[in-house]
Amino acid sequence: METLSYLGQGFGVALSPYNIFTALCGTLIGTVVGLLPGLGPINGVALLIPIAFALGLPPESALILLAAVYLGCEYGGRISSILLNIPGEASAVMTTLDGYPLARQGKAGIALSISAWSSFVGGLMATCGVVIFAPLLAKWAVAFGPAEYFVLMVFAIVCLAGMAGNKPMKTAIAACIGLFLSCVGIDSNSGVYRFTFGSLGLADGIQFVVLVLGLFSVSEILVLLERSHHGQKAIEAKGRMLFNLKEGAQVLATNLRSGAVGFGLGILPGAGATLASAVAYMSEKRLAVKDNKFGEGDLRGLAAPETANSASACGSMVPMLTLGVPGSGTTAVMLGALTLYNITPGPLLFQNQPEIVWGLIASLFVANLMLIVMNVPMIKIFTKILAVPYWALVPAIAIITSIGVYAIHATAFDLYLMIGIGIAGYILRKMDFPLSAILLGFILGGLMEQNLRRALSISNGDLGILFASPITWGVWSLVALMIVLPIWRTWRKRSQQKAQLANA
Amino acid sequence: MYQRLFGLVLLVASVALSVTAWHYQAPFSYEPVGPRAYPLLLLVLIGLGAIYLLLKPATASAHSTEPPMDRHVLRKVAGCVLALMIYATLFEPLGFVPASILFGIAMARLYDGSWRTSLVTGTVAAIGLYLLFDKVLDVPLPLGILSALEI
Repeated sequence: METLSYLGQGFGVALSPYNIFTALCGTLIGTVVGLLPGLGPINGVALLIPIAFALGLPPESALILLAAVYLGCEYGGRISSILLNIPGEASAVMTTLDGYPLARQGKAGIALSISAWSSFVGGLMATCGVVIFAPLLAKWAVAFGPAEYFVLMVFAIVCLAGMAGNKPMKTAIAACIGLFLSCVGIDSNSGVYRFTFGSLGLADGIQFVVLVLGLFSVSEILVLLERSHHGQKAIEAKGRMLFNLKEGAQVLATNLRSGAVGFGLGILPGAGATLASAVAYMSEKRLAVKDNKFGEGDLRGLAAPETANSASACGSMVPMLTLGVPGSGTTAVMLGALTLYNITPGPLLFQNQPEIVWGLIASLFVANLMLIVMNVPMIKIFTKILAVPYWALVPAIAIITSIGVYAIHATAFDLYLMIGIGIAGYILRKMDFPLSAILLGFILGGLMEQNLRRALSISNGDLGILFASPITWGVWSLVALMIVLPIWRTWRKRSQQKAQLANA
Repeated sequence: MYQRLFGLVLLVASVALSVTAWHYQAPFSYEPVGPRAYPLLLLVLIGLGAIYLLLKPATASAHSTEPPMDRHVLRKVAGCVLALMIYATLFEPLGFVPASILFGIAMARLYDGSWRTSLVTGTVAAIGLYLLFDKVLDVPLPLGILSALEI
């Protein structure tokens, strides 16, 4: 009951005209950003942070704006996947598998509307999940001390690597690099300058907006250079624009199952939308016994990843809000934005500033509704945006990125730093390192060090405190599980390959 | 091949940074863990990862998701980095609008725009974004050589 009254209060915040307008702008910007090649939710959200700050948005409006952009990006990403066969970001890869064949069969309108509907169902289910689980988790998380937090963050990092699939080691290294980067600057406990090499620009650390835009925007600009000479033409969306009842009923079960999968994986720290969409697609493919056309334009194959995608986007808000531990790259950026406002997400946020938390949750409902209403009639306009050539798009993106970085401190040093980080990010990308792991590590790094040092201060330097409570035992065993899982998976793969070789 | 080179660079970097970090000592401290322990722990982990990259059999890197590099692309990437560096250098002394016009034209050319379209794109993007950010969104941008024009 308490939850419902809080939720009502949240809707009061989210439905104020100012915040509705903010959410509307956010969803529009988000859809366009998600649509454009080279810009995903992470850069979209990061670019808006300095703007939200400059506009003097109050924290809850800023958060609503960022959440709306995030959801909008997940919506927009599918448009280029379906019409161009180019996924706007990693989590949309699965959408191309059945979306593009559908578009080529002349069912682009149906594909777009059914994927919008799927995103809506996924988002709605997951938001309900957030309403139910977040307060429970927050209540439980109040019992967390610094030691428990430290262990939890170790779990988040290990989980990130364990869930990464084919390259756990590289993900782990990337996360450690991110953790390390957070050490740069003045150490807040002792005042020692760490790794600044005498540079004043580095004294208060690497600004996370600089890191995000360098890693994602600049490196993406460099990557786009490779693709500029082989452009692709979008398939025109014509014919029936809306799916009919029969098609809707056909995918409903898929929607519900994938929504649950997406929400569950979204809550896990580090797993995120990419994994959720892949898992949902694969399990639906296995479940579909009757007329299985997966890969050639099956509506269920389109609905599954899209539902899971937006469900996990909403689900990843749960660990961010309740524990202060982000579940995905984008929520990591949002966490960074919150710290700019001097708000520390965590269980106490639910007690001390319920209007922010519940306003955000309520705005997830609002944004989802706006997106579905907006997406169906405006699809023609969005597809027009896809036709903007790179030579017009990329200079604008590059200039906006530079403005975003310059706006934080108004020093050119940050611009150089961004370029340097961008080049490093480009090389890391070429080496197949996941950049979002660096970002997540960077955001967690500071918190992790603070909690470790606080915990050891309590115990006077005795490491035993990290293994002292039942909560830490539980989390440590999860950590062990996550370390064993990828090893077991490679071992199984290897033994399967051996068996195949033996049979052949 | 590149993987190992990268592993080597990473290893050298982590060792060098560890040497720097070794001297970090708090003049007086209220807590058992100083400023040194945590970065050192991470550098050790990164170093171990680098050693793993050095020793790992190279087969796994064969199927990378990104397309391979060729000379043409490499030259373009270098040009793009150069353009970005020049932009960063000119950003404050020249002011946002002139620097962005030059940079926008260069970038549009890099992405295969014709001279005429590039000129238009660069100019429109620079002036349009200046108006949008400085005037509408209140993000202060440097005026540079145009500061005389401000009323």
